[in-house]
Amino acid sequence: MEFVKFCILALSIYTLFESTHGSIGGYINPADRNKFIQILQKSLDIDGSDLTPYYYAAKARSILNSPYEPQQVTDYCNNIKSKFQYQSIENSFYVYSAWKLLGCRGQIHTTEAVKAIQSAIENPKAAIPDIRYGLEILVIVGQQVSNPAKIAQTIQTKLKEDDSLSNLGHALHAGYLLGDSGKFVSSRVEDIIVQADEVDGKLLQWEGGLTTTSLLLTGLLRAPGSAPLTASQSDKFANYLLTRKTVQTPKGVLGLVEAANALQHSTVPPVSVSIKGIPQVSPEKGDLVFQITSIFGVPLKVPPKPIQVESVTKLSDNSVVVSNQALKQGGSSIDYVLPLKLDPGLYKVVISAGPNTADFAVRALGSLAIKSLEIGLSDTDGSAATKLTKLPYRNKLEKPLQADSSQNLIVKFSLSRPVHQAFLRLHSVAKEIIFVAEQDSSKVYLVEVNLEKELSESGNFEMELLLGDALITNPIRWNLGKIEVSLGAIAGKEAPRVARGPKREIEHLFRPAEKRPPEVVSVFFTALTASPFLILLILWAKIGINFENFTAISLPFHLGFGGILGLFTLFWLRLDMFVTCAWLVPIGGFTFFSGHKLLSHLARSRKQEKSDK
Amino acid sequence: MAQITAVLQKFYNEYRSKTSKKLKVIDAYLFYILLTGIIQFVYCLLVGTFPFNSFLSGFISTVSCFVLAVCLRLQVNPENKMQFSGISPERGFADFIFAHVVLHLVVMNFIG
Repeated sequence: MEFVKFCILALSIYTLFESTHGSIGGYINPADRNKFIQILQKSLDIDGSDLTPYYYAAKARSILNSPYEPQQVTDYCNNIKSKFQYQSIENSFYVYSAWKLLGCRGQIHTTEAVKAIQSAIENPKAAIPDIRYGLEILVIVGQQVSNPAKIAQTIQTKLKEDDSLSNLGHALHAGYLLGDSGKFVSSRVEDIIVQADEVDGKLLQWEGGLTTTSLLLTGLLRAPGSAPLTASQSDKFANYLLTRKTVQTPKGVLGLVEAANALQHSTVPPVSVSIKGIPQVSPEKGDLVFQITSIFGVPLKVPPKPIQVESVTKLSDNSVVVSNQALKQGGSSIDYVLPLKLDPGLYKVVISAGPNTADFAVRALGSLAIKSLEIGLSDTDGSAATKLTKLPYRNKLEKPLQADSSQNLIVKFSLSRPVHQAFLRLHSVAKEIIFVAEQDSSKVYLVEVNLEKELSESGNFEMELLLGDALITNPIRWNLGKIEVSLGAIAGKEAPRVARGPKREIEHLFRPAEKRPPEVVSVFFTALTASPFLILLILWAKIGINFENFTAISLPFHLGFGGILGLFTLFWLRLDMFVTCAWLVPIGGFTFFSGHKLLSHLARSRKQEKSDK
Repeated sequence: MAQITAVLQKFYNEYRSKTSKKLKVIDAYLFYILLTGIIQFVYCLLVGTFPFNSFLSGFISTVSCFVLAVCLRLQVNPENKMQFSGISPERGFADFIFAHVVLHLVVMNFIG
């Protein structure tokens, strides 16, 4: 039982995936077509010996259904005729094809040339591209291939040596031209398709770019009724071709157009579902127009049915607004109209055309209304009550607001719906300042401008409210009136900077001197510090110091020592170290000698005393 | 308390009687230096150290003078004769004077 359930589920998923596949977005529109024709025309206007551009132009224009004027045809035919000389089989194919496509009169090929080509392609050593172009020539000149089996054999041998994509592409074309003998190529079809590279799950291409892809696609789809591709593969190839709409060479243009043409005429023509114009709806213009076309922008031979809108989903809350509604046929056969009445927002619209589906991002616009607006001034410190003036929409303030530096400008407003951009713009002749309005919890927008901080100088400003959003039809620009701001005296402007010249002198800041104690204290402590000297004198007197030894001999020493102390005092007061040292040497020397003399005298007298005892 | 007074009394008497006059003179000088240093320090605590170099040189001067005087006292003291056998009191005094000259050159340089 479980197994059966699983099988049913798997089957339903399989059918879901099998029955719906993507579609291509866009097609080769008239602008692209004109651009292609211009590129082709430019290559013809260059006067050169190369005749291949004639083939590219003639072939591409026949596919684009844009024939030349008879005068142009005559000119081109004459040009080809005068310049043509045999170069290679490939070149001959281009010239013969161009000749035939342009419908030139007479014939450009000679019997000998055709014979030579015929024998060349029957040569077992012939290259595959040469064989293919030779066969094409034979078709152009209306001759039968004399030995198709042998040529088929040669191609198969060559493919064993080198089965590059380019060789395989030419082999596909040659195989088609060989008829029954060329059936062998069908065994390579699956292998070729497998070799295609998928990009992002959206594009399919073969390595080698547009030329190789075009060669292989045209080869695969050349036989009428062949169905080598699935519908989704066809879509992916078509998507790849559409990405290459920017080609600039005539060869590229032809490759693209040929491949697109091959896809269009295949059993699985790609279906293009696109939106005409800008993908948005508004209450005034509620119709979305979808175009369902082929890759060339023309009605499909078998229009897919049914064409309906699968769903319209609002992206913000994922709610489905519309589902399974058929589209009405529009003005032209490719237009399908979906009338929509949506709340403003972003939507995802899924369209299905038969088995093809496509989804689009659509914007629904709405109008914006201002419910109320109040404007006024408040004190920065909140001391006085704020007085706001109600202003009806589109009205201006009767009197300009008079503001000074202690005030804030306040603008409060509420809207019918939130917007992305809400600004207050203050502007005078030479200045503008823009403030962002913030929405508070009660959905009211508020701008509060601290005039002192935000404005650098006094002045008269116009006030303007700017409201914008991606989803509104009526962006608002509302002149609210004037404000006169007087900020009072402002500190002088900065001196203009001089780019060159001396820099300002650097002034070193010394550490400021600490506060000194009052003079009384200093003098008191000086006296206090000196006072112990008095105690010393008293003590010495008490002890009974004797000056008996003070004789004439000790006088020079005391003079010298006093001199040193005097010198030190001078050093403290005015001299420097060098002068002091210079004076110290003689005075010190004198003191040393006199001191030595005195002390040795004392020592001697002491010893005498001792010995006397 | 009485004992302490007695001890101090005895110490003072011993000092008066046994210490030589020379040493008493040096002791008086030491006492004078000590008092000066204490007054400098009290000033620093009460008023502040600004200007710091002046305070420092003054205080260094008193401390160094004290140390040098103590050295002189040690060398002059007859009880220490054993340690300073080769140094006569006159030699000690000459050293004391020389050290002072060098010390006060530095102090004067530093005083600012």
